[in-house]
Amino acid sequence: MTETTPILQAIGVRKTYETRGVETQALSEIDLSVAEGEFTALAGPSGSGKTTLLNLMGALDIPTQGEIRLDGENLGNLTPAELSRRRLHKLGFIFQAYNLIPVFSAAENIEFVMELQGVPHEERRTRALELLESVDLAGLGDKRPLEMSGGQQQRVAVARALASRPRIILADEPTANLDSKTAIRLLDLMLELNRSQTTTFLFSSHDPLVLERARRRVWLRDGVIDRVEGGAAA
Amino acid sequence: MLSVIRLAWRNVGRNPRRTGVVVTAVAVGLAGTLLSMAIFSGMMFQMVDNAIKTDLGHLQIHAQGFNKDPEIGLFLEDKGAPEIEAIQAEAGIQNWAPRIRGEGLVTSPSSSVGVRVIGVDPDAEAQVSMVSGSIVQGGYFDQKRRLVLGEGLARRLGTEVGDKIVLSVQDLEGDMNGTALRVGGIFRTPSAELDRSTVFLELAPAADLFGMGDSISEIVIVGHSRDAVLETQARLSAALPDREIERWDELQPLLASILSVMDQMASGLYLIIFVAMSFGIANVLLMAIYERIREIGILLAVGLSRGRLVAMVICESILVTLLGLVAGFTLALLALFALSDGIDMSLWAESLASFGMGTRIFPVLTPADFTIPTTVALLTALIASAWPALRAVRLRPAEAVRHD
Ligand SMILES: Nc1ncnc2c1ncn2[C@@H]1O[C@H](COP(=O)(O)OP(=O)(O)O)[C@@H](O)[C@H]1O
Ligand SMILES: [Mg+2]
Repeated sequence: MTETTPILQAIGVRKTYETRGVETQALSEIDLSVAEGEFTALAGPSGSGKTTLLNLMGALDIPTQGEIRLDGENLGNLTPAELSRRRLHKLGFIFQAYNLIPVFSAAENIEFVMELQGVPHEERRTRALELLESVDLAGLGDKRPLEMSGGQQQRVAVARALASRPRIILADEPTANLDSKTAIRLLDLMLELNRSQTTTFLFSSHDPLVLERARRRVWLRDGVIDRVEGGAAA
Repeated sequence: MLSVIRLAWRNVGRNPRRTGVVVTAVAVGLAGTLLSMAIFSGMMFQMVDNAIKTDLGHLQIHAQGFNKDPEIGLFLEDKGAPEIEAIQAEAGIQNWAPRIRGEGLVTSPSSSVGVRVIGVDPDAEAQVSMVSGSIVQGGYFDQKRRLVLGEGLARRLGTEVGDKIVLSVQDLEGDMNGTALRVGGIFRTPSAELDRSTVFLELAPAADLFGMGDSISEIVIVGHSRDAVLETQARLSAALPDREIERWDELQPLLASILSVMDQMASGLYLIIFVAMSFGIANVLLMAIYERIREIGILLAVGLSRGRLVAMVICESILVTLLGLVAGFTLALLALFALSDGIDMSLWAESLASFGMGTRIFPVLTPADFTIPTTVALLTALIASAWPALRAVRLRPAEAVRHD
């Protein structure tokens, strides 16, 4: 097996929040690599720092100390505009709930990202329909988020994350608001995308349904990596 | 960019009640201002128009110094022959009329009143002035040696058509000179001032009375329009270097200054209204931003740049304002359409007449009445969006997506 550059790398990362003079050490001494094709979960109890780490890896926040590298590029050296472009072109996000822009239909939510990328109109349209089909939502493109169930909304969010053809999709507790049946359906969809199209996923979750499907589990406790289960890329 | 505009447009529609309140505020403010401006402009237009049509004309030609001190000794010789020659060379002049203008005293059996005495050529005067068409009793010089005077003056003198009154003046030599004339006609114009204090007689008896021989005091000129008159003035001034060629607004500077005050008032009014509105718009936008912090976080996470986020907020502000403008202009135009027969102001007839206005006001709108508020409103929208936009770009993506 040849050594390739990981998609995401955290090197000696520390994150300290400061609210009204009180410092909270959310993460310290984090070293983590995510390679292409992984289906990995950040695990740990609530407050252990999963979301903080995911936001740092996703260029939504900057570490207090250490480096985040995306395709080998140190995000700390980028301007806000460049970070915004990396998020647009290289990263896909799925959050716990209310992922979608409520004033856009499902298809428009998916197309919006491609529109920001400058994908031509026709191509956007067809690709949005393809993506909806691939998440089992064919025919629901004109529905607004509020007209869809939580599971359907999350699948639109998956389709939107895929729309920009990102290097990796970061999903923060994507099943937390779903019943287990819906959660399993969503996770199986993601697994299928991971297997068939080698879409890389990095989760943060304490949901056993997520953790039992993850090929690698990175356990956090009090802001440090406690242990790692499972192997690297499949 | 199109996606951002669409997003902004949808956001504007998402809280119809709140958007409605802002749109209504902009619309009502705009329509109210526009309507009052149109009515004021209508009044002003009529005031100026009446002054032009009863007395001023567009231009007047006098001997040097007459405008400053209109004394009978400053005249145009030879019935104004050289001036008339210059006038006839001008294409922009529709009509003109010679006048003798002096002061005098009219005496009836019951009282005496100081008046302006104006000698006219009835046919020519009828072309430049509305007095001939404003006769309410008798006729306009349909008999020789008659006086025509205003209703207000007739009342002061206690005279009627056919009565004999004495007109005395100081002639060119400085001697008192008088003559008895019958009242031939009584007029009523929108100008109370004219009606109260002016007598007209024919040019020949006026010349006799003042001892002017062949001389006249002024030539009044009416051109095609108020605006075209500047060029005519310039050319006549060049052709007649030792004459005073003055425009209506130079002859009656008070009128001109009232008009310019009106313009400034209008701009001031718009500014006040829109500055007040900008706080409303800014406040509503700000509320909308605070309600959507999480959503903005998502937008930033999927790769919306801060520049486009700012554009979105500005778009929302401008779209709301545009809706207000459209609604406001529609409202104003509907109201103006309803008022197109004029507004009956006869309740205030007397006070209006003292300003030289009729009792029916026709609202007047100029293109500037549309362009100025539109420009001011859009600038306001831009300024109003600054603060909400700043709040939006200051949001940190990681915190915004966590917001609930
Ligand atoms: N914006 C913030 N300001 C201050 N403390 C924060 C902030 N966000 C998270 N924290 C703290 O950082 C720690 C890690 O939080 P988080 O990353 O949300 O954990 P998890 O996602 O595992 O539940 C917690 O102690 C939390 O209270
Ligand atoms: Mg979390």
